[in-house]
Amino acid sequence: MNTVTKRAYVLLGIIIAFMVGIGILAGSFFVNGDIWATSRYNGHLYSAGQITNAGKILDRNGVVLAQSVDGKRVYNRSRSIRISTLHAVGDTYGYIAYGAHSLCRDKLTGYSFVNGIYDLIKTGEGSDVKLTIDAELCKTAYNALNGKKGAVGVYNYKTGEIICMVSSMSYDPENKPDDIETNEKYEAVYVNRLLNGVFTPGSVFKTVTAACAIENIPDINSRTFNCTGAYKTPQGGEVICNNTHGKIDFQTALTKSCNSAFAQLGIELGNKKLTETAEKMGFGKSFNVSGVKTSPSRIDLKEAVEIDTGWAAIGQYTTLVNPLNFMMIAGCIASGGSTPTPYFVQEALTEITGNLSTNSLLNESTANTLKTMMRNNVINNYGDSRFPGMEFGGKTGTAQISGEKSHAWFFGFSCAEDFPYAIVVVSENSGGGSEIAVPIASKVMKELKNSL
Amino acid sequence: MPEKKVTAKPKKKQQPFAWVSMLFFVSAFQIISALPVIFGSEEINREILFTFGGFLALEWGYFICARFLAEQRATELEIIAFMLSGIGLVTVASVKPEYAFKQFIAICIGLTGFIALLGIMRNVEVISLLRPVVAVGAVGLLGLNLVLARTINGALNWIEIGSFSIQPSELVKVAFIFVGAASLEKLQSTRSLTKYIIFSLGCIGALFLMRDFGTALIFFATFMVIAFLRSGDIKTIGLLSAVAVVGAAMIIYFRPHVASRFETYRHVWEYANEGGFQQTRVLIYASSGGLFGLGIGEGRLKNVFASTTDLIFGIICEEWGMIVAFCVVLCFAFVAVYALRLARNARSTVYTIAAVASAAMLLVQLALNVFGVTDLLPLTGVTLPFISRGGTSMICSWALFAFIKSADIKTYPKLEKQMDDA
Repeated sequence: MNTVTKRAYVLLGIIIAFMVGIGILAGSFFVNGDIWATSRYNGHLYSAGQITNAGKILDRNGVVLAQSVDGKRVYNRSRSIRISTLHAVGDTYGYIAYGAHSLCRDKLTGYSFVNGIYDLIKTGEGSDVKLTIDAELCKTAYNALNGKKGAVGVYNYKTGEIICMVSSMSYDPENKPDDIETNEKYEAVYVNRLLNGVFTPGSVFKTVTAACAIENIPDINSRTFNCTGAYKTPQGGEVICNNTHGKIDFQTALTKSCNSAFAQLGIELGNKKLTETAEKMGFGKSFNVSGVKTSPSRIDLKEAVEIDTGWAAIGQYTTLVNPLNFMMIAGCIASGGSTPTPYFVQEALTEITGNLSTNSLLNESTANTLKTMMRNNVINNYGDSRFPGMEFGGKTGTAQISGEKSHAWFFGFSCAEDFPYAIVVVSENSGGGSEIAVPIASKVMKELKNSL
Repeated sequence: MPEKKVTAKPKKKQQPFAWVSMLFFVSAFQIISALPVIFGSEEINREILFTFGGFLALEWGYFICARFLAEQRATELEIIAFMLSGIGLVTVASVKPEYAFKQFIAICIGLTGFIALLGIMRNVEVISLLRPVVAVGAVGLLGLNLVLARTINGALNWIEIGSFSIQPSELVKVAFIFVGAASLEKLQSTRSLTKYIIFSLGCIGALFLMRDFGTALIFFATFMVIAFLRSGDIKTIGLLSAVAVVGAAMIIYFRPHVASRFETYRHVWEYANEGGFQQTRVLIYASSGGLFGLGIGEGRLKNVFASTTDLIFGIICEEWGMIVAFCVVLCFAFVAVYALRLARNARSTVYTIAAVASAAMLLVQLALNVFGVTDLLPLTGVTLPFISRGGTSMICSWALFAFIKSADIKTYPKLEKQMDDA
């Protein structure tokens, strides 16, 4: 009797194992419930693949970008705003993987662990989501891109708020084009190019080479370079320059974007140091922008021989950069080396969700030196009249793409204390940075300045 | 241990009518939960109203008879059984009103079986006498099943008789424990254990042939528990489970289609519209309900295939809320602890084994059901005891509770008195 009674305690083992399982089940509902409840297979929320009931999505000024009316999801009345804010707002079908519609599903549907989606079913309304973007500014930026593929991003480098986020091409979510899958025009249309695009940088990369030179060559400011229209490397290679700049100093080399000078610097600095500086400036790193993991900028000089290093130093070779990364570099240069991670969904809990983590992409002294140099670029080359009253600094890029027109780049920042904004513009296969990208940046920054 | 009994008795005597207030509470809960089903549509659903009235009458009738005629002092198990049956009845009535009356009849048969089994279990001699008959009957039933089987949802575990379809494997569950519970004299004999192993292999093998792997797994787990209780031989049990693992591996190797049934396990979201359809829908709608549920009849999981049988845990989460759903599950854990307490003080090893094996079987089945539909375990399609729609499952659930209750000497007041006098 006694032995069997003792053996009966095997049941206690089963009970404990069972309770552990119950604990795991409850825990997984607690952790994953929001993702499960807001799945697109949830018939309470979706009908024929369309979200039916959910809160509004608003821009920073309260302009309605998307809302549910009579069980249908409708977007802003203006077609241009629908198109230019598409990648920020997202769509209800989930084609745009990282728009507010998918990122804020739990909030839009009013899901909570305690009440599930009860509130939404009883009231037909979820909670509203406010974005940090300005719809009108997005519209201006999208129109300024003028039908070319590319991206424009503007953010407040002190707070991290993204005020303009545009990716081209885009489309009208209320009137999706039939040829979207086949027309070459719509290549990668669902990708938000600001966050998840990577492009050959061209001369914007010279700021990376410059930062590396400032930190590693003590007499860099007294150096002179002799540009004869090309730079002949010690081992017999040649990097061609866009002009014959003659005898110039470091600052002028950046202002004139002299390939000879920067190829020479890059080879002198070497692969290891260039890579180190680039990695410090965010290469190889993904940033979490309101829950979207950005595509990292890429640099790989492991196999680069001397001539490759020369090309890499001026932003050619295999290097690819992410526009948001360069927007953040501009912000860091303007604000002494560090900046909060940008975000575009306003949340009361921003601090808790860790969106306000700061990124130190540059040393303070390097940042300040670059700030002066890039400010001089605008004064002496692009012209202050493009950015009136903004104390603007910046750098253009013209990335050569074999067999096609160049990518036009510009990234820069305002040094004005009361106007802490940084911008990045990339326009694919459209020409030179000064001719194409600077006017776009000028238009957007002027409108932003006027709207404040 | 005897001290405990002594301390437990006066406590019960202080509150002689605690069961009445408990019963009131349970009935109130049942009435409130049934109201939306009865008055949900514009017209009052008379059939459901009468069915439900019948259920309440059965419940009160049982407790009054049990307390005053049969002198039952401990009715916790029956309270839980009625509570769970009520939740199942209301859910079935709300999703498939046409099945409500059938489900009520199943509860009636279950309760009758419960009382009958308590009578049989009263006497160890009767059990010994019946054991070979039951063993032969059980194997015969499974054999008959294999011959007459109708394939329903990939498993061959149904027999249709007129408009009724019965699931013999559910009845054999009861027989399995009945045969497995041996008295002290038989414990030491290897021959008795060998016979039991042969019987078990027959049952489990038949279930494999029917491709009812969930039930086979329940049988196997119960078999291990009973074998351990009877022999205490961990080596033999380890060997047996090793053989089982090798056997299962061989089946998967030689019959890849068996393995393919489990390929969506832990990948349900990748097959959300194919093999993972049921699990993903359970997860979606269960989390939609939150802690308090969307309201009875307000859910959407009910439209998914097998919602009132295999997936009923998900409906309870969605419509009744996670608190009720987890309380349901915890009820079974409570019953298992209760069974363990009774087993420790049982008057014969027969009852210790019966109570422990029944509780283990209930927990294993519950785990396969609840964790299966939520993708923590592979989905095997077993029912949730007392709650899932289905007559044989209901009868089996009540019978397992009878095994547990039979371990309690208080169930047999006259016997108790005899023993006290002795």
